[in-house]
Amino acid sequence: MAPQNQLGKRVKLTQIRRPFIVGSTARPFSDTNPRPAGVPDNHTHSWEVFVKGLDDTDITYWLRRVQFKLHESIPNYVRMVEGEAGKPFLVGETGWGEFDITIKLYYVNDSGEKPQTLYHYLRLHPYGRTEEEKQAMVTTHGEVRSWSYDEQLFNEPYEAFYNVLTAGAVPKGWKPSGGKGKGKNRAPPALPPADNNDVWEHSAMIPAHNRPGQPFSLETEAAEIKKLADAQAQTEAMSKKILAELKTKEELLASLKAENATAAAAAKPS
Amino acid sequence: MTSDVRDVLNIPDGTSGPRPAKKQKLAAPRPNLKGLAREVHNLGGDNPIAIVPEVTHFKKRRFASRKPASRWELRKFRNSARDDSSLALRHWRRVDGKLEGEPQEQAPGTAGDNAQPSKDGIEDSAFAKYNVQVSVPQYSEGQYQQSLQNNDWSKEETDYLLELARDFDLRWPLIWDRYEWNPPATNGDMNADGDESKAVVPATRSRSMEDLKARYYDVASKMMAAQKPAQYMTQPEFALHELMAHFNPQQERLRKEFALNALTRSREEAREEESLLLEIKRILARSERFNDERRELYNRLDYPRADTDINAFKSSAGLQNLLQNLMSADKTKKRKSLMAAEVASPTAPPGPQQVAAAQEAGRRESTVTSTGPREPVTAAPTPTSTAKKGQQEKPERRKLTTQEEVLYGVTHHDRLGSGPTFRTEKINKLFSHKSNQQQLRITNALNELDVPNKLAMPTAATTHQYELLLGAVNSLLDARKVSDKIDAEIKVEQAKKAEREKALGLPDSGSEKKEEKKDGEGDDKALEAANASKDNSEGDETATANPASEAATKDAADTAPTNDASEASSKSEEANGEADKNGRPESSHKRSASVLSGASDKSTKRQKK
Repeated sequence: MAPQNQLGKRVKLTQIRRPFIVGSTARPFSDTNPRPAGVPDNHTHSWEVFVKGLDDTDITYWLRRVQFKLHESIPNYVRMVEGEAGKPFLVGETGWGEFDITIKLYYVNDSGEKPQTLYHYLRLHPYGRTEEEKQAMVTTHGEVRSWSYDEQLFNEPYEAFYNVLTAGAVPKGWKPSGGKGKGKNRAPPALPPADNNDVWEHSAMIPAHNRPGQPFSLETEAAEIKKLADAQAQTEAMSKKILAELKTKEELLASLKAENATAAAAAKPS
Repeated sequence: MTSDVRDVLNIPDGTSGPRPAKKQKLAAPRPNLKGLAREVHNLGGDNPIAIVPEVTHFKKRRFASRKPASRWELRKFRNSARDDSSLALRHWRRVDGKLEGEPQEQAPGTAGDNAQPSKDGIEDSAFAKYNVQVSVPQYSEGQYQQSLQNNDWSKEETDYLLELARDFDLRWPLIWDRYEWNPPATNGDMNADGDESKAVVPATRSRSMEDLKARYYDVASKMMAAQKPAQYMTQPEFALHELMAHFNPQQERLRKEFALNALTRSREEAREEESLLLEIKRILARSERFNDERRELYNRLDYPRADTDINAFKSSAGLQNLLQNLMSADKTKKRKSLMAAEVASPTAPPGPQQVAAAQEAGRRESTVTSTGPREPVTAAPTPTSTAKKGQQEKPERRKLTTQEEVLYGVTHHDRLGSGPTFRTEKINKLFSHKSNQQQLRITNALNELDVPNKLAMPTAATTHQYELLLGAVNSLLDARKVSDKIDAEIKVEQAKKAEREKALGLPDSGSEKKEEKKDGEGDDKALEAANASKDNSEGDETATANPASEAATKDAADTAPTNDASEASSKSEEANGEADKNGRPESSHKRSASVLSGASDKSTKRQKK
């Protein structure tokens, strides 16, 4: 509450979200991924853990730095990564074991917010609940990706931060190092349509379609919603069935009880 | 001397080493010793005597240089400015003989550097150079016809004006004073009759100075432009041209009249004017203040503007905040208005205005206090306007369009805790609020449904959907639980039935029969309760049932008889039929019954004592 004066008041009852990806990519050592010099023999994989923007957009305008707390056995296991505009927060290592990584996000000074912690489990081997899922995980060169989408929610941000978060959206192509900036509407930064496939810088947009390396999109979201809705319908059907059964059972029970009661009543006077 | 003193004071080392002071004295005897005898000076020892001998100066002799007096002579001179060149006047001049430079220097005022002797030996007057002729615009007949035509001015009169201007060197009061234009009587009918040549005499018009000036400047500027086009003029020339071309006689006249009036007014008039000016100032200030207040009032009366978020004031905390704001704003405003009144009328008697301001402030306060707490919704717009006023020095927060809100992911909620969170946290909370057992059950159910318990993309929509799904799963689990319970009861009843049928002839004990009956009622109630509150977990129930039954067994002797029992009573059935009636009521419809049952435990103990 101390910096309230410079940052203005909190914008009440307002929430601003920023999607981002936290995840890890692991590759086993092989011919294509040779073991670097100086790596112990028991290390089997090289991996990297990262926090980055959706579609590799810049997130350093709200995220100042990230602390990755790796396993204690790794030398210098607390890694502080300062934000560098346009680049993901990334730590690369080699190792042989999976473990939980504590990731602490430090927000920009304008936000006036305290750092927040989230966890990510480093995956080196294909995982999943079923064998099929595990099979699906295995990609070329045995790369294992454990990426999760998450949304940073800024609840009631300070006015200064609110202004930062709600201005300056530009198509990705505007940035020279944008990578896959296919930006069609490159010319003036007029507001994009809602179903735009390109993620703009400084925005909370989610791309409309999947593309290789970018598994999170409105498509994925829609599929997930559908799946959940199906599951919900299934659940409801099941509970309906059970309730119907319950009715018959209750009737049975009532009749049994009545029977027992009459029998008992008959027995009582005697 | 000093050594004696040293001896007296018993200071050693007096003679061992030469003292630096002495040395200095030896090295550089002071120059200011002159006035005093050396002995006197020595008395001072190390510190010199501060008596400064006065140096006597005598006045310098006035005539330090004894030079012979310079010679003057009466000399003839001419004044080239004069027309009468024959006039010869004489004045005294210094004779510059042997000493050429000195007299020139000593008498620059009289001689002047311009007074050079002319060729014939007679010098020109020093004042001849001040005879400057005004250059009056010249024009030819053609030029006049072309550009200088004026209905009001004939060419002759213009000529006359220019002539006068030249004669009096543009001294306008003089020109105006001497201006007597008698238009030459035109021949009304020259051809017809020569005798009547002087018949028509145009009436003489009296021209004001402004008229004369206007005409002159008009002619001058036009001729100037004719000689040199405006774009080739130098800066001062152009400025002059502009000045002359834009001469406004009307304004000049007004200015002079005003000056005349100002100069001729009496003392009373001046005082009255002063007081009137003050009054005007005061009236203006008052009207400004009045306007301000009226605007403020309108702001208050205004329908709340849509661009400010009223949601902030919908909660009770927001309202409280708002009331505070209002109070503080009002306080500052009151102070300000008082101050404004003082500033506006520093000289005026402080009576009515300040009273009015105070009254107003009081009124405002009373309205606030009356409307504030009683009608919070209607009062809500006011703070927005006042708050806005307070924040005006800050940049207004930008209002986003809906499209922008989508783009930047801005949403508005009815309730929100401040601070950054992650979307996944919400889902985790859905889980972590449940007991471990329930969590396990939910995960099992989700596995059955082939839904991972972690969302691939936890967006707002998916999270919402997930919540719905979890709700459905929970109700499913509850339904299952109830059905399991009923299954168990059916089994019990069936077993009872079988037993009774087996031992048909045997008479049952009365207590057992009663127990059965109550058991049945309790079951129904438990079922209802389970249906009503789906969150009710089995773990809770077992947890509460156990202590309850324990308590019941312990305090079996002196329990107050109460109403009914539920399925858990089957466990304590063997122990005591009546005892479990005590613990029942809580566990049947209270979730956290463990606490309550503990309380009942205590109460029964107290009863025992």
